[in-house]
Amino acid sequence: MAQIENPTRERILARIRNALKTPAPMHWTNQATHGMQPIFAPIPDALERFQRECAGNRTELIVTPNSSSEALETVLASLPPGEIFVQDAPELREKSSALHDRKDIRWSSEGAPHENSQATLTLAEVLVAQTGSVMVSAACGGRGAFIVAPVHIVLARARQLVPTLDDAFARIRERGTAAQNSYVCLITGSSRTADIEKILVMGAHGPRRLVVILELATK
Amino acid sequence: MTAAQDFLRNAATKSADLVHRQILRRGIDHYDAAVSSGRARFLDWQAAREKCQSIKCEAVNHLDRYLEEFERRVKEHGGHVFWAENAEKARRYIVDLAANRGVRTIAKSKSMVAEEIHLAPALEKQGIRVFETDLGEFIVQLRNEPPYHIVTPAMHLTRKDIAALFKEKLGGIDTDDPQQLVAAARHALRRAFFTAEMGITGANFLVADSGMVCITTNEGNADLGVTLPKIHVVLSGIEKIIPRMEDLAVLLPVLATAGTGQPLTCYNTLVGGPRRTNELTGPDEFHVVLLDNGRTDLLADPEQRDVLHCIRCGACLNACPIYRNIGGHTYATTYQGPIGSVLTPHLRGLNEFQHLSQASSLCGACTEACPVKINLHHHLLHNRRNAVERAHRLWRERIAFQLWRWSMMSATRFGVLGSVGRRALRFLYAFGLEGTPLDPLRAWTKDRSAPPIPTGSFRALWKEHDGAN
Repeated sequence: MAQIENPTRERILARIRNALKTPAPMHWTNQATHGMQPIFAPIPDALERFQRECAGNRTELIVTPNSSSEALETVLASLPPGEIFVQDAPELREKSSALHDRKDIRWSSEGAPHENSQATLTLAEVLVAQTGSVMVSAACGGRGAFIVAPVHIVLARARQLVPTLDDAFARIRERGTAAQNSYVCLITGSSRTADIEKILVMGAHGPRRLVVILELATK
Repeated sequence: MTAAQDFLRNAATKSADLVHRQILRRGIDHYDAAVSSGRARFLDWQAAREKCQSIKCEAVNHLDRYLEEFERRVKEHGGHVFWAENAEKARRYIVDLAANRGVRTIAKSKSMVAEEIHLAPALEKQGIRVFETDLGEFIVQLRNEPPYHIVTPAMHLTRKDIAALFKEKLGGIDTDDPQQLVAAARHALRRAFFTAEMGITGANFLVADSGMVCITTNEGNADLGVTLPKIHVVLSGIEKIIPRMEDLAVLLPVLATAGTGQPLTCYNTLVGGPRRTNELTGPDEFHVVLLDNGRTDLLADPEQRDVLHCIRCGACLNACPIYRNIGGHTYATTYQGPIGSVLTPHLRGLNEFQHLSQASSLCGACTEACPVKINLHHHLLHNRRNAVERAHRLWRERIAFQLWRWSMMSATRFGVLGSVGRRALRFLYAFGLEGTPLDPLRAWTKDRSAPPIPTGSFRALWKEHDGAN
């Protein structure tokens, strides 16, 4: 459908402008007695905080001093047979020794994951210590690539870890991540629901397990 | 029967329903515990509320500028923006779009605005299947019911209710184990996701400076819905705009904490258009429908403009002593609880929905709970005042208040009427007529015993004791 000219657009904007001729009462903006206070506690040790938050939101975090290949092999060995969908990135192509035994690798350059895919392996844009979150974009294997399979494995490096959410949004702005991708997702733990009697059930529509393998060494 | 009469009758039934009370209490107790530990994670929760209030205040008071900025960026990225003045126009745009594209199945995420404009029934009328993909919404859709709560739509059901429902409607399942019930819903909805030609979502925030829509879920259903179908439609109220992406760094933790007590919802997704040319997956089309539907009228009322700051977290519902007793369906409105009582008269008419302003003890728990500091209980008073000035009132209520006013204007009249009143009540009660239709205090005394009627007036007592107790 061609972009239809929308006469109601002008009417709505005119109504808004007319409404805003009367300013809002000043007390809304002037009562900020707490305004200058910090909202969140400072984070002295980002790695320690990230570990604690991951434990709290049930992210399986594996911290490795050097190469993550061994940890990746262990995680892959725990999976049932079936397709593993892998972000087609040089860093992950290098890991093919760990992926070597598995014949059912599907690289993201070959298209979207299959409905019965068993796991997704991607990189991340940023890790956030404050909330134990992983931020991915469409560049991480395609939009929503991680959401299909029951397990999402993320390979990350320590330099990707930032202390706060503020830092995370600042970083994706600086790097143009939000401008270059049609999709960004801040993931905090794996899919869950408490819609039945407020009882927590893991793996509602998305992954049951979120595994983060964090490599400390900086090459 | 009017909406007010329905409300009173259902409120009386629901508040006396012990099973309903127990389910509601368990749900809200669970929420209260989670929220109090959630708030403790903030160094200064009040500072967080004020920050969120100032963000929304900035956005709402420059709504035109931020909406235009948002629209420009969405278009730059190949998306479409449709401005809908009312429910009918928004519905027609989406229904026509679905019809033109030959859409037969839609995977829909939770959206209160879709409830507000009755979108799903309009699509189904055209023979399009609409799957609610949020588990709570899926459950109430199978029951053919509206959501019970803004955030937890199936809060009023036990796992036994849901087990019976799934056994009947989905088939092949006979268990009340939540794990297996969730697995059954996941299985049923997977097929819907992979066949749907269109995904419809709401928006938690529209980010002006990046032209992105922020959608929050715990289940990941919105991520499937914006990934697999070829068309993504976002339906949002115009007031959901925020100026900057960085504002999310405080809004998202505050929304999650006020909504469920979580530090952050599992999936906070930002979508800025259809898939780019270098992206392999994602929809080919992206449409944002911006809905007014009475919101600009609220904007024109500076006294209540801050109602547009609402981020739909549901905290005021959980805090409200009325909601805690009568539950969500009694309101018979899209938005329940204090925010619904404030908003509904603006969206659907003061005349028919003025009774909701009385569904309050004016205790202020809603205002205290609101993470963006909306002055909710004062707005209920504003609506009461507006109703007296502008709306249709019962003649006997008008006469009663005129009589009250007349008697209050003179000490003698007040004294005489007080004395007559006390004598009359004592006389009635002496004949055992307390709580009967003859009792003028029946609204109170039909379920409770009246306090002893004093023999003298307050002024007589004062005089007798010389002002001392």
